Amino acid sequence: MPSGNLVLRRVVQLVPTLFFALLLLFVMVRLLPGGPATAALGDRGTDADIARIEASYGLNRSIAEQFLSYLWQIAHGDLGVSYSLKVPVTELVLQRLPVTLTLTACGSVLALAIAVPLAALAASRRDRTTDLILRGLFQLGLSSPVFYIGILLLTLVAAKTGLFPVGGYGSGFLDNLHHLVLPSFALALNFAAVLFRNLRSAMIEAMDADYVTFAIARGLSPRVVLFGHVLRNALISTVTLFGLNVGWLIGGAVITESVFAIPGVGRLMIDSIFARDYPVIQGLLLVLVLTVSVVFLLTDIVEGLLDPRLNR
Amino acid sequence: MPNRRNTSLLALAVAAVLGLSGPAPAAAQQMGGTLNFGRYADSMLLDPVMNENNVDIWILTNLYSGLLRPTDDGAGVVPALAESRSWAPDHLSVTFTLRPGIKFSDGSPITAGDVKWSLDRARNPDNGVWNFMLGSIASIETEGADKVTLKLKNYDPTLEAALATFNASIMPEAAYEAAPGTTEAEKAQAFSEHPVTSGPFTLASWTHGTDMVLKRNPNYYAKDDKGNPLPYLDEVHFEVIPDDATRILKLTSGEIDGTEMVPYSRVGELKKNPALNMELFPSTKITFLNFNSRPTVGDKPNPLADVRVRQALNYALNKEALIKIVTHGVAQPMQSYMATTTPLAMKNGPLYAYDMAKAKALIKEAGLPAGTELHILSLSGNQDFMQIATAAQQMFAPLGIKLVIEQLDKPTIAARQKAHDFQIVVTTWTNDIADPSQLTSYMAYYPLIQSYRGGWQNKEVDALFEESQKEVDPARRAGEYATIQKIYTEAAPIGFLYESPYPVALSKKVNGFVQIPLGNNIFDRTWIGK
Repeated sequence: MPSGNLVLRRVVQLVPTLFFALLLLFVMVRLLPGGPATAALGDRGTDADIARIEASYGLNRSIAEQFLSYLWQIAHGDLGVSYSLKVPVTELVLQRLPVTLTLTACGSVLALAIAVPLAALAASRRDRTTDLILRGLFQLGLSSPVFYIGILLLTLVAAKTGLFPVGGYGSGFLDNLHHLVLPSFALALNFAAVLFRNLRSAMIEAMDADYVTFAIARGLSPRVVLFGHVLRNALISTVTLFGLNVGWLIGGAVITESVFAIPGVGRLMIDSIFARDYPVIQGLLLVLVLTVSVVFLLTDIVEGLLDPRLNR
Repeated sequence: MPNRRNTSLLALAVAAVLGLSGPAPAAAQQMGGTLNFGRYADSMLLDPVMNENNVDIWILTNLYSGLLRPTDDGAGVVPALAESRSWAPDHLSVTFTLRPGIKFSDGSPITAGDVKWSLDRARNPDNGVWNFMLGSIASIETEGADKVTLKLKNYDPTLEAALATFNASIMPEAAYEAAPGTTEAEKAQAFSEHPVTSGPFTLASWTHGTDMVLKRNPNYYAKDDKGNPLPYLDEVHFEVIPDDATRILKLTSGEIDGTEMVPYSRVGELKKNPALNMELFPSTKITFLNFNSRPTVGDKPNPLADVRVRQALNYALNKEALIKIVTHGVAQPMQSYMATTTPLAMKNGPLYAYDMAKAKALIKEAGLPAGTELHILSLSGNQDFMQIATAAQQMFAPLGIKLVIEQLDKPTIAARQKAHDFQIVVTTWTNDIADPSQLTSYMAYYPLIQSYRGGWQNKEVDALFEESQKEVDPARRAGEYATIQKIYTEAAPIGFLYESPYPVALSKKVNGFVQIPLGNNIFDRTWIGK
């Protein structure tokens, strides 16, 4: 098991990471042309209205002053109030983040559930028909944009069969899950393709390794060799890839959320950037950096379980 | 000549035939039921005064009533909470009498005090961005519980239209003041989440970004022609579905009963769907190319400062072709800088009919060298705008003009317009008020925002506009607007493109829904048949 040290070390590392990410973003969003009032009023905003509204947000102060007061605010657990939606950012995040996390979690689990067994199958039938068909299918999955898969699923599955709702999120946990089946699948397909390719080649590499030859020579069954030795060793790089790709997966969730009308942080992030809604952009960044950090930590722990040498 | 008896017999016979073969009487309106409506975006702040967006404005009329309301054609006003109005002979004050016994959704009476408080809040220059519409009011006085007198600084021909606009909604003073919060923004936010309303509906629930439920207000003042209480519907469920394709799929699969903002490319297909009514509601929406008319942009000379170049571009724009490409034929070429649905708009046929020879001659006269570059800003992600920009690129090419397209997001474009750092921007506009003054103050009148940030100025237009804002005689006001439009058209501060309808697709069982030219979605007479 990984020592508590690892966790502690990561938490300590997180503080400066968060600080600099926040500082960078804080300055960057303010360098974007057009402020929140310009975004809201568009081309018809009068100078007086724009100045008055931006002053009411405290944007007439220097960036340093704004940043210090923001730090003071978050130190007190207050993420501010959205400029465009006028509701507290904490409330928005608590409402939206679980949706995106559930979607990405379902997508990830589904991607693993698709990729791992099929990669094992393809690797064990290297260059035979099964392998070729699977590789072809995943190539298609990899090159199809998420929104395209989404629309296809909605048109061919949801609207035609009526088994799943055409977009939306529903209410209640079971209803939510029901609404998430197709979007998770759309999200998983791309990701599964990436994982499949990686895991298949890692497994093929492992199959050629001396310890596998030795295991076979010892008379272990092919099944034990494949799952006990080959897969376990090949999974390490896949887990690393998985962890690294969670950020990308959240990016994919943005598009999925739009196509399937799911109210997650992805859509909120896009809307906030277009609205120059600084408090929401900052609040979401904080939360997403935290989320990705936790996923990285979990990835490290799993890698350690798969290969105890990494814990030393 | 037939005798008298025969005539009446004939009349009876005609009446009988008409009665038998004429159209069946309209099906009786069904009371009750829930309408599920798919929206392209959610509302942000449902406060009549502090809101800044169409997503709020177009819904607010379902929650609040004003003293007056716009007619369905968006060109006039009719009484709403006020039963009658009477202008003083000097036109410097107007007295409204409220309908007897009107109540807010919580059962409390709507009083003259609420009206005064609501309008004072709406015209306070510190509140929101719409207070200018009521800027001519000097003070408001009440008399008893049902009479309100507005005293004016000067006669304002737009006042009645302004009082029928969302920001002049009547709200309950006591309930609003009891809402938590210290600043106006905080109070507006708190109240708008749990409002007490004067319109056909109240807000039953709202999950931001997902859905909103409006519930019938049992105390709504209005009744239909037969005296039945409005609204007919028990509830309206709004679901937010940003993706066009998903929204339409939800409609065709029957999960929702109606949806707005149908892309023009899908209109033809949905018209053929026997389960749907594909409605194209007349609108005040115009689409145009906004020109920068200043002599320089940045440090470089700006060819668009020459009126001949602006006119040439107008002649080179093939409006009919653009309408076919972008709107699949549902739009009309512009006849003025205002949509024809705007009161006092000129309707003398399309402006600058396509004429490449004239365009080339004007360019030659202006001495514009071949290979001149012009830059056009287009909103990124907006397919219609991109099609317009690329079509314009091809249409300007024969003039020796190279049009460079820049795709940017909305705040960036707005910031560059504000900084005068642009040459051409693809732009749309819809009126918020049933009067030409709002659009004119933005487009043609320099002092407000330098003619839509384009820098074009005509002193005569500025003076005429100021006159028209105080004009008591409607005929003279119409004359002033005719002159303004004539001068504006000749000076061509914009590339005139088209006016287009609001595409709304509804299930066949939905009746009585209307989106008026100002954009307001009106659900108070909507009903669901079998």
